[in-house]
Amino acid sequence: MHKIQSFPEYQVPGAQHQDFSPYESNGGSIVAIAGEDYVVIAADTRLSSGYTIHTRKQNKLFQLSEKTVLGSTGCWCDTLALTSLVNARMQMYEHLHLKTMSTEAVAQMLSILMYNRRFFPYYVSNVLAGLDSEGKGVVYSYDPIGHCERTTYRAGGSAGTLLQPVLDNQIGGKDKDVKNKPKVPLEKAKEVAKDAFISAAERDIYTGDSVILKVITKDGITEEEVQLRKD
Amino acid sequence: MSSIGTGYDLSASQFSPDGRVYQIEYAGKAVEMSGTVIGMRGKDGIVLAVEKIVTSQLYEDDAATRIFTVDKNIGIAIAGLLADGRYIVDIARQEAANFRQQFERTIPLKQLTERVSAYVHAYTLYSAVRPFGVSVILASWDEEQGPQLYKIEPSGTSFGYFACASGKAEQQAKTEMEKLKFAEMSVEDLVQNAGKIIYQVHDELRNKDFHFEMSLISKETKGLHRLNPQPWYDQAVQAGLAAKNEDDSDNEI
Amino acid sequence: MYSHNNIFQTELWKGGPSPGQFYNFPGTNYNNSNTGGFTAPDIFGSKRSSSPITTGTSVIGVKFDGGVMIAADNLVSYGSLARYQDVQRVFKINEKTIIGAGGDFADFQSLKRSIDQKMVEDMCYQDDIDMKPKSLYNWLTRILYNRRSRINPLWLEMVVGGMQDGEPFLGHVDLRGRAYEDDVVATGFGKHFALPLVREQISNGEVLTLNQASQVLRKCMEVLYYRDCRAISKYSVAVSTAQGTIVQGPFEVNQNWALATMIKGY
Repeated sequence: MHKIQSFPEYQVPGAQHQDFSPYESNGGSIVAIAGEDYVVIAADTRLSSGYTIHTRKQNKLFQLSEKTVLGSTGCWCDTLALTSLVNARMQMYEHLHLKTMSTEAVAQMLSILMYNRRFFPYYVSNVLAGLDSEGKGVVYSYDPIGHCERTTYRAGGSAGTLLQPVLDNQIGGKDKDVKNKPKVPLEKAKEVAKDAFISAAERDIYTGDSVILKVITKDGITEEEVQLRKD
Repeated sequence: MSSIGTGYDLSASQFSPDGRVYQIEYAGKAVEMSGTVIGMRGKDGIVLAVEKIVTSQLYEDDAATRIFTVDKNIGIAIAGLLADGRYIVDIARQEAANFRQQFERTIPLKQLTERVSAYVHAYTLYSAVRPFGVSVILASWDEEQGPQLYKIEPSGTSFGYFACASGKAEQQAKTEMEKLKFAEMSVEDLVQNAGKIIYQVHDELRNKDFHFEMSLISKETKGLHRLNPQPWYDQAVQAGLAAKNEDDSDNEI
Repeated sequence: MYSHNNIFQTELWKGGPSPGQFYNFPGTNYNNSNTGGFTAPDIFGSKRSSSPITTGTSVIGVKFDGGVMIAADNLVSYGSLARYQDVQRVFKINEKTIIGAGGDFADFQSLKRSIDQKMVEDMCYQDDIDMKPKSLYNWLTRILYNRRSRINPLWLEMVVGGMQDGEPFLGHVDLRGRAYEDDVVATGFGKHFALPLVREQISNGEVLTLNQASQVLRKCMEVLYYRDCRAISKYSVAVSTAQGTIVQGPFEVNQNWALATMIKGY
């Protein structure tokens, strides 16, 4: 660097041959809806890049504990690296403190882990769903560099922008001019999540094949799968 | 024993006036205390066998093994100090891995022997170190070279053999082996003779219990060095037990 | 342990990275800090392997009733030149694991040297425990992700198969470390041509027999030979079942040039 500076007219940034991109968008969407004593999180199972579908049965929901599930989409290799790192760190926490990480702690840790790669980010869209220490449903959503926000519902991933307004309307009650937001029953949350994916599969080519839906309550986690368009 | 050495045996870097390096000879004594180890080279296979003396009933059967795999088709049997032996095996594995990395093929046993014996020899030259108290028997088999057998002694000298032995009953085992025609021996004959020799040379009066250990490299093991492979292991043990019973009944008469 | 690069530590975690850091692998700088080493160019910039040189084309893997099969043709190209026409691109790793490689063949050969050394070390334990396909698959994802994170990728697309605790395993890994498992996977051109042919056969959830699997692979190799200009008619197949693993071939694809009436010599 210093040598170059002594020859100003030759000062060039160096050979910038860069046809390799470390990033790739592999698609996939996540929807999470929290209630008083439950949280629903769903993600589709299509893994693709461009017009190519790699597999139609890639689970994108990572169960981190009895109370916490992480949905992660975007650059699949980053998702794999990030989730295995989260798992490793959670195991270390368990060994050190002899207890499982709370959802709040996982949420904070995830933010830090992602910000650690501020200048070479994990290119992922994360939605973390879980029960908090009071047993209430909670959703955290992230941007690729670790900004973290606690909410009650969120759509993320390739159809995130498509679905968020739907949730605003159906779950958030943004259409109604009310002070007290309506409480969403579990069955409605599940139906909205499923419908959201059916709609997303219509318009987003990166979302489809099937959707896996996990419901977290104090009694544990249940899972169901709904088929989507496969074209 | 008390008069030997007389001051010239404290360092491996010094000769005695009559031209001996006592430290090396003492290392040889360590080998002589060890259970007997033999290697035999047949027509189309090679066998290593060990009389593993059981010093305590509390050990598991496979504890303190004296036969090691160094590369796919290379095995090493150790007589002498086991800890020294394991270190030598580690060196041999490094040499084998290094050769593999450079040439992308298994190291020829001759070259491996040269490397390891140079290493063993280096430990007979300096006052800061002691020689290895081990005798190392190296065996390999492959399609091109057939069976190969080498032995390295604590001095760092090494030779190729048709059959060789180390440990307590080296002489006795060699006497037995000299009766055999190795060049045309099949794998079956080889393992049976290995069983016979180890069971015959075992001295029940001095060491009550021992564990028979053997390994084989041949076409039948797909060219791999296999420790205690079936059915050959059982064949060897049966031949050994039969030979022992025969000996015992001879003694009774 | 026995290698000059320090990836063969047997002690748990010794020499390993702190969580979130990267593992060192041949070709990577030893002292890379977390952010510094990824992109920083040398004084005149740095050129890394940003495009492959000698390449293999498609690899196809299918699961069948009781095992896994991976097929690839025997060509390694040099650009558009069909340079090496008798090269195996599917391999037996051990009795449980098989692998097939497309992409830069030099990168693969270097990687395979490391894998082979791992297998020798497995044998030195003399415990008859072999590395299972999932372990190799996961190891490869970490190696490849590590290299892509240094913008110095191993230009590979690989299919890993084998028997994992009695069940067939089939996975795909690429140069970025993107990895997934499926009943049928393919790389490169095979993704477009071969995957649909196989998926057609298993669309009703039916499991292929060994014979059906080798038939459908043969068909795939034939179609690829017709349409992929970097494919030749000779291919090999690696098979893994509970009985062990074997590489078969080379085979010739069925060819029918009856339509090409003016073309002679095939």
